[in-house]
Amino acid sequence: MKYTLLAVSSITYAMKAKKLLNGMGIFCEVSKTPKNLASGCGYSVRIRDNPDYVTGILEKNGIAIKGRRTVEM
Amino acid sequence: MKTVYFDNAATTYPKPPSVVKATAEAPVKYGGNPGRSGHAYSYNAAAMVYDARCAAAEMFGSSPENTVFTSNCTHSLNLAIKGIVKPHDRLVISSMEHNSVARPAYALSRAGALVDVATVGKTDEETVSNFRKLITPGTRCVVCTAASNVTGRVMPVQEIAEICRSTGVCFIVDGAQACGIIPLSLDDGMNFICTAGHKGLYGVTGTGLLISDGEYVPRTIIEGGTGATSAELEQTGFMPERLESGTLNTVGIASLKAGIDYVNSYSMEDIFDHEQSLCEIFLDGLMNTGNVTVYRNGDHFVPIVSFNIEGIPSSAVSGALSERGFALRGGLHCAPLAHKTLGTLPEGTVRFSPSVFNSESDVKRLIGEVKKSQKMDFDY
Repeated sequence: MKYTLLAVSSITYAMKAKKLLNGMGIFCEVSKTPKNLASGCGYSVRIRDNPDYVTGILEKNGIAIKGRRTVEM
Repeated sequence: MKTVYFDNAATTYPKPPSVVKATAEAPVKYGGNPGRSGHAYSYNAAAMVYDARCAAAEMFGSSPENTVFTSNCTHSLNLAIKGIVKPHDRLVISSMEHNSVARPAYALSRAGALVDVATVGKTDEETVSNFRKLITPGTRCVVCTAASNVTGRVMPVQEIAEICRSTGVCFIVDGAQACGIIPLSLDDGMNFICTAGHKGLYGVTGTGLLISDGEYVPRTIIEGGTGATSAELEQTGFMPERLESGTLNTVGIASLKAGIDYVNSYSMEDIFDHEQSLCEIFLDGLMNTGNVTVYRNGDHFVPIVSFNIEGIPSSAVSGALSERGFALRGGLHCAPLAHKTLGTLPEGTVRFSPSVFNSESDVKRLIGEVKKSQKMDFDY
């Protein structure tokens, strides 16, 4: 199983992303951004599938992606 | 003796039961620091803050990221005005402004800004014309209240916004007395709406909002921890965190969310109609009371009535009414500029401002006490 972390600017943007994706039926969670993904103490949305598709949705809605990493569990 | 509260323009009281409940529960339900950590306590608080942000943004036609939580309307106005106006810029304010606008404007003038005061005329047309004359190519910003905190007069902010839009001038509106009572939205054309959370929105004191359309990003007057871009010494550049340094007032924000939900549970028109009908009853009562002056020139009003009894200082009248169980505010209402415009310096006026919780019988008893107070001997 794998998941992808999409680092965003702040908790506000993470919450915005979560609300947007959940509203589209895309499951996601908000978590702290690991230091080696993006600088500062920001937040990420954690998704299971289709990172390119989700990244496109978020960027289209004004949510800049500051970093991205897929993790195998 | 239970005091009847008619000082809702200062802060609404009582608060709705749902607001009291949300405020009491918040320290338990949202005990973490929102936007600072990755654990459940922090996350739950952040989720509540975001919900509140969305509710406020929806009410005023903004987006969550352009909705900033502040301590009060004065805080919001300072962030906006001082964040936009630089020394040597031109700033135009109205002659009915509260000190929350007049004092920042004065401070900026001391730093070199040029401040013009547009006289609020007898009609909206006259007022708009006075603004138009003062808005020149060098004007950076216009600030105007949506409704006077002294007389309740509703200002023609849509028309002023049109002038500002057509001339590329930033327009900041003080919505302290309007928000939650009359519809006010960025769709009306202003760039910023500043408001209190504890007046017509029924949150607790210590809450305020700065609503922006995102066209202008204010310079900061406070910097610090924002939970974002923490590795950099430069202040966070994006909203809302840019203007929200330090830990948020989570308890107050929970109360404000409940207050907005409360207002939304009615129609704003119903709230306005109820409060305005109480003002009409009060005005009718004052009309039949000799030696009373009511300050009500203009076309439209939020539910506020300012008056004086001839020969008696407003503070003495409000003091006498307080002893008889009625809470009204006398004096200058922190708006000497407005009182100068009205010709009511130095004593000010007595201000009556009802809320959804006041009744017709409360107002009729108050009218009786105002009539009695005319015949009293005052020691002042």
